Amino acid sequence: MNYRALSKTEIGQLEQNGCHAQSWDKVNVKEGFDPSRVKNVDFAGTVKIGDFKKAVTVYDGITKPAGLYKCHIQDCIIHDDAYISDVKYLVNYEIQTDAIINSVFALTVSGESSFGNGTEIEIFNEGGGRALPIFDKLSAQVAYLMVTYRHDGEFIKKLTAVIRKYTDSRKSTTGMIGQNARVLNCGTLRNVWIGEAAVINGAIRLEEGTIASTTHDPTYVGSGVIGKKFIILSGSKVDSSALLAKCFIGQGVQMGKQFSAENSAFFANCEGFHGESCSVFAGPYSVTHHKSTLLIAGMFSFYNAGSGTNQSNHMYKLGPVHQGILERGAKTGSFSYLLWPVRVGAFSAIVGKHYANFDTSDFPFSYITELDGKSTLTPAMNLFTVGTRRDSIKWPNRDRRNDPIKYDLINFDLFSPYIVGKVLRAIQTLHDLYEKASRDREYIIHHGIHIKRLLLKSTGKYYEIVIDIFIGDEVLKCIKELPDDPSIDDIKKRLSPEVGLVDTDWVDAAGLLAPRKVISDFMAEVRDNKLGTVEQLNAALNEIYTSYDLHAWAWCADLIEKRLGKRPNELTAEQLRGIITDWQTSSLKLNNMIIKDAEKEFSMKSRIGFGLDGDDEVAEQDFTAVRGSFDNNKFVRETLADSERIKQIAEHWLNILK
Amino acid sequence: MDNKQIQDRVKKVIANVLKTDVSTISDDANFIFDLGADSMQSMELIAAFEEEFDIEMDEDKALEVQTVSDAVTFISGYFNK
Repeated sequence: MNYRALSKTEIGQLEQNGCHAQSWDKVNVKEGFDPSRVKNVDFAGTVKIGDFKKAVTVYDGITKPAGLYKCHIQDCIIHDDAYISDVKYLVNYEIQTDAIINSVFALTVSGESSFGNGTEIEIFNEGGGRALPIFDKLSAQVAYLMVTYRHDGEFIKKLTAVIRKYTDSRKSTTGMIGQNARVLNCGTLRNVWIGEAAVINGAIRLEEGTIASTTHDPTYVGSGVIGKKFIILSGSKVDSSALLAKCFIGQGVQMGKQFSAENSAFFANCEGFHGESCSVFAGPYSVTHHKSTLLIAGMFSFYNAGSGTNQSNHMYKLGPVHQGILERGAKTGSFSYLLWPVRVGAFSAIVGKHYANFDTSDFPFSYITELDGKSTLTPAMNLFTVGTRRDSIKWPNRDRRNDPIKYDLINFDLFSPYIVGKVLRAIQTLHDLYEKASRDREYIIHHGIHIKRLLLKSTGKYYEIVIDIFIGDEVLKCIKELPDDPSIDDIKKRLSPEVGLVDTDWVDAAGLLAPRKVISDFMAEVRDNKLGTVEQLNAALNEIYTSYDLHAWAWCADLIEKRLGKRPNELTAEQLRGIITDWQTSSLKLNNMIIKDAEKEFSMKSRIGFGLDGDDEVAEQDFTAVRGSFDNNKFVRETLADSERIKQIAEHWLNILK
Repeated sequence: MDNKQIQDRVKKVIANVLKTDVSTISDDANFIFDLGADSMQSMELIAAFEEEFDIEMDEDKALEVQTVSDAVTFISGYFNK
């Protein structure tokens, strides 16, 4: 970019416009500079000014000529058609084209800053030991490995070095206001990097942070926000007096209504309102909306916190050293309480107050309730509740990320090898416990939680439904693309896995489902210096993500062999018919159970409080007017339609396999 | 086993699971509305019926059983096959 010195005439015009400079020699301009666009400005240090031609919309239809008005500008580069007005101090910034800065007390960079990159946050365990350096390309997966694999010292050392190399590269003595960004009505912004198209409107104080916005997915930081040492990624909205201290806000996150967060990371599509978080690893789709909700020292994903949800990580002994995990899809009911350490299995619901330390990670889809002061597990109960089905449908539809670069890798499958592996262990454990339990016992205790002996036998059956559906889904996924009327050989060819079984155990790395061995291989590459940059880390993890279907089918093929004694491509037509028939039966059974659960929402009990001043007939009419009818309910109709689809698919393949 | 015997045993199971006096359970009592069972107790009732009568109840069909008389009819179906 070529800049030139101001001419004497231009300096004269600027002075006539109320401008001053420590040294006009250090104020350079681009060819085409128009002094009439610069008024009442104090210049200090070295300032480079672009060409102002456009008019910009500054507020609700009000346009003003781009230029510099009533501000103190020190050591800045200002590109074409920026609009800067009423800024008390603007120091050490590069302002990109078409950016607007209006009515701001201070926007300054002092000394060298990495703009929040490299800030270590004490996440997951408030007592420390799991420090996560945050940066503006951090994925949930890198964070998960950094936080939970502390036992692998060499891996942590190498991963830290890769991250440190990146965060060091972000250090600068000059900040950035990106193209088309708008900084309006703010207090003090110190050492803050602002990406393109970002809107910062009404923030009170922001310090040491990056707001990594993109034109595809602008980021918004709104009124009353106070943030210190933070990273906010694209498509996120932090608003209405949210308080952030040492926090990472991933893509598509929404936070506001006085939510207060400290030493916490919120990954894709999280939502935080009203409540408080401390040392929280909020994996994708973790949501807390209510006052009096404290999330502390926990790891969550696909999580919904009921009002007043609370945990304790402190037993007044060695400090706040305890931590808890709610695996994907867990939810806590209003005023539920957990005394860490606790580990809750995926897609489980927690109700009541729990003072016992338990581990239900091998019992997904369970209810954890408080019964006479005892923490009690009802295995598989949440499998056929309408809420679980609704959640699994809504998550993929609620991905707010519009940025073409998506850092967090998220598998949405409800029944995956990770979950089905746990289901298999649950069935075995329930069976073993039943065999051992004496019939006169009401409860047995397993891993710290009570289970009613009666349920040990019956709930295993519910889990079997999951296995039938998973195997059928996987088989159908393989053969669905076959042309009409394929031969049994065509079908078998499709059922030959493209990759071998890598590992029977899978992990859920904050949304990414993968065989444990694949994750171990990734970590070995980090240890061996084969992945030396943040971009390489993200690319390698993305490769794992895109190979999910291949690995899932290889895992399923192994399961089929264990159950039927043959590889899928060696199955007889009759065995394949058996798989399709079981899939149909279990899928329909599950749908029926879910519909039955939905029906309760229309029962007499649900009508309590309707038709306040009338009789039963009025109550019925009021209920129908407000809630609609069971038969016309959208979810019910969709589930019934799904059942019809299942029947058609089954009929199609059963005919072919005759 | 006749229906009266089934009914007596059904009531005994319900009283045991819901911790209530067997004499307070009417022949057509609804588990939820009359006896105050919650969803988890409904599941427990199914498991208890299975154990008491040594039968395996179909999961989704069993959830349709909402009253004492439903349970008697449903269970008697296993013995009258």
